[in-house]
Amino acid sequence: MIEVVNLHKYFGQLQVLTGVNTKIEKQEVVCVIGASGSGKSTFLRCLNLLEEPTAGEIYIDGIAVMEHRKDINQLRQKVGMVFQQFNLFPHMTVMENITLAPIKLKKMARSEAEKRAIELLDKVGLPDKNNEYPNRLSGGQKQRVAIARALAMDPEIMLFDEPTSALDPEMVGEVLNVMKQLAHEGMTMVVVTHEMGFAREVGDRIMFMDEGIIFEEGPPQQLFKNPQKQRTKEFLGKVL
Amino acid sequence: MNSIMKLLSDAIFYNLIREQRYMQFLDGLGISLQLTFYSAILGTVIGLFLALAKLGRIKWLERLATLYVDVIRGTPVVVQLVLIYYAILGSSSFPKIVVASIAFGINSGAYVCELIRAGIMAVDKGQMEAARSLGFSYSHSMIYIIIPQAIKNILPALGNEFIVLLKETAIAGYIALDDLTRAGNIVRGRTFDAYTPFILVAIIYLYITTILSWMMNKLERRLRESD
Repeated sequence: MIEVVNLHKYFGQLQVLTGVNTKIEKQEVVCVIGASGSGKSTFLRCLNLLEEPTAGEIYIDGIAVMEHRKDINQLRQKVGMVFQQFNLFPHMTVMENITLAPIKLKKMARSEAEKRAIELLDKVGLPDKNNEYPNRLSGGQKQRVAIARALAMDPEIMLFDEPTSALDPEMVGEVLNVMKQLAHEGMTMVVVTHEMGFAREVGDRIMFMDEGIIFEEGPPQQLFKNPQKQRTKEFLGKVL
Repeated sequence: MNSIMKLLSDAIFYNLIREQRYMQFLDGLGISLQLTFYSAILGTVIGLFLALAKLGRIKWLERLATLYVDVIRGTPVVVQLVLIYYAILGSSSFPKIVVASIAFGINSGAYVCELIRAGIMAVDKGQMEAARSLGFSYSHSMIYIIIPQAIKNILPALGNEFIVLLKETAIAGYIALDDLTRAGNIVRGRTFDAYTPFILVAIIYLYITTILSWMMNKLERRLRESD
């Protein structure tokens, strides 16, 4: 579903990604872990070209993303993204946040888009919040609306960029539960996270990033219980 | 006491009533308000295009807009007005109010550009990223997501700009346009009274700017309510 070949990203002199190679299969849940500054967010943001890669190739559904930059808006419709800071549109109600993209981009009828939005809000556990403005919601509620907004475009892949890092501890669970449910339904997910419990429980594969590459990866049992490399052991020793 | 009253009533009689001089002030006010209105519209349009040029990714457009803003902000508006009147538009048969509106609009555009640019840049950059990640193009993200939020930042400053503009149009007399200030000058020439006409002019300006500020405050409060 996603293939990344020799991905490089430099910010000026700073080399953030120095050759990332991986394949992500359909319905796979990949959790990306690593110290801050290890390039995991940059890697995720390169997947839908929110960051322009310096070199390398990205294929989504076999389409070479870098060569089809002018179709990037089409491509992004297939790749949902959830941000650390939620990034809900503050001038719109929850309902408008969710229905804007389907109405404008998929030319969906408003009534149909709203029906779908209500289903999605139900799914993320916020059935009665459709007329609220985002600033009336708690962090956890905002992030669940953000997930619903991304899902409204019926994406094939969901990218999560530290979705719980900006939340108060008591709200982390409600967001992770929604993500868990999504994973069980077979959504292809790439999750950059510091929630090791979630990664262990939900992830099919854990990617440990360091020095701008995928330093070590494997199924959670293997990576968490029996890491092969010294750096991985050190990192896990600090966070577990 | 009586002599003071006499002085006052004489001053008002000679400067306002006689030969219907109040009409001079009213006409002048009308010209000043029209001039401000047209300049404000032109300035906003020019400012919007300049701001988009500056924020956009076309290098030569960005440079051109920057040059425009630097030149306009770096020279006195009265010099711009006279130059535009004599050198550029003076030879044609445009009415003076049109020439002045263009001059003040061109001037105001440079300031409005910076207001709009600042207002757009004050919108969190995560908003653009969220819109792009959903599949919106750059321009659609601007239209649906960024500009509606930026307007809230821009409107109060834009209102101030219009108040400043009203006062700046007081130099329209330099190209012999009979605005409010020039009306005061004309009456002064007739009555040889320097104080009364200009005190009247000042009161009228103050009255109008006070109303405009009051409207701006109300608007600002309403914008804040929806936060």
